Amino acid sequence: MSFFSKMKGGGQSPPAVGFSEIAWSWVGAFLGITPVAFLNYNLFSGDDLVYIIGSFGASAVLIYGAVRSPLAQPRNLVGGHIVSAIIGVIAYKLFCPFPWFASAVAVATAIAVMHVTKTLHPPGGATALIAVIGSEKIHDLGFLYVVIPVSTGVIIMLVVALIVNNIAASRKYPEFWL
Amino acid sequence: MKFSSLNECTLPISDEDIIQAMKQIPGYLDITPSDFMEVYLVAFDHAMSRLKTAITADQIMKTNVITVGENASLIEVVKKMADNNISGLPVVRNDQTVTGIISEKDFLKRMNDDHAPSFMRVVLQCLETTGCIAADFKKLVATDIMSSPCITILPQTPLIEIAGLMDQKAINRVPVIDDKLKLVGIIARSDIVQTMC
Repeated sequence: MSFFSKMKGGGQSPPAVGFSEIAWSWVGAFLGITPVAFLNYNLFSGDDLVYIIGSFGASAVLIYGAVRSPLAQPRNLVGGHIVSAIIGVIAYKLFCPFPWFASAVAVATAIAVMHVTKTLHPPGGATALIAVIGSEKIHDLGFLYVVIPVSTGVIIMLVVALIVNNIAASRKYPEFWL
Repeated sequence: MKFSSLNECTLPISDEDIIQAMKQIPGYLDITPSDFMEVYLVAFDHAMSRLKTAITADQIMKTNVITVGENASLIEVVKKMADNNISGLPVVRNDQTVTGIISEKDFLKRMNDDHAPSFMRVVLQCLETTGCIAADFKKLVATDIMSSPCITILPQTPLIEIAGLMDQKAINRVPVIDDKLKLVGIIARSDIVQTMC
């Protein structure tokens, strides 16, 4: 297939989901983000730590909205975030004088390592990027970033996914653990 | 239809079928219809090649083979074929090795000179001439009429190969021999049809 004809697409787009799927996605995401955000804004709002990062919103799409996706499974959710967080912190520490380079290296390497470790999780790319482009508060965390906010938030959201997605009659989560 | 083209002819699934299935299955499937089609096609190929080699001659052959000896008279041969309602049988030596095969076609060949012998050719010849054209059969024995050497297969020959062989050589049955060349079974076209359905 030639370069330009590939751009035409030509395949069909998948069908839309039904109402119950939309409802369960909403409920799951609401219940999953609530405790993490509450932790951040209400419980520990006084300390210097951050408990919520933007990539959790992306994870919510997958683990509450596309439950069966390989990208949404626990191995990918937990592994992808942790692997990417570590890479993000390293990239910042090594290349912080050149933020453009640190950003690019962080995301690109995160994707590669997630592939290698079979933990590909799209929000992981954001987690790696945030380690570089985040606030001073994030930078000051150093490798603690991997534990708080990343691991804590991810585990809370996973527990909610295990509960909510298995209450729904039409859902089952996870498809696999490892 | 060739067996090798089975893939194409048994592929009635369309993009519309996939979309309908995706609608029926609850939950969001994180694939495009063309993803599914690709997986399906490759998986189908795998299944086909597994099935093609999974079934071998020894699984479908008939082991109680009706045979005749090399010196059996043609009357004996014809009687055996008629009594057992079969259209062909292998000719074996005393040690059960196959020396040839006799089918209705061999009789037809003998009964007229045409290059493409058929039952109707024989009838035609009967009507045009006088006397029984099978008369000299009384003096003949199995080896006079049999096709030899004949095509044989081993017990581990896969089904797809047997079907291809029958198609290619235009034969209706093929004796199965073991590694000592002794007859162990026979496969007719009908055995293959039964296996496929």
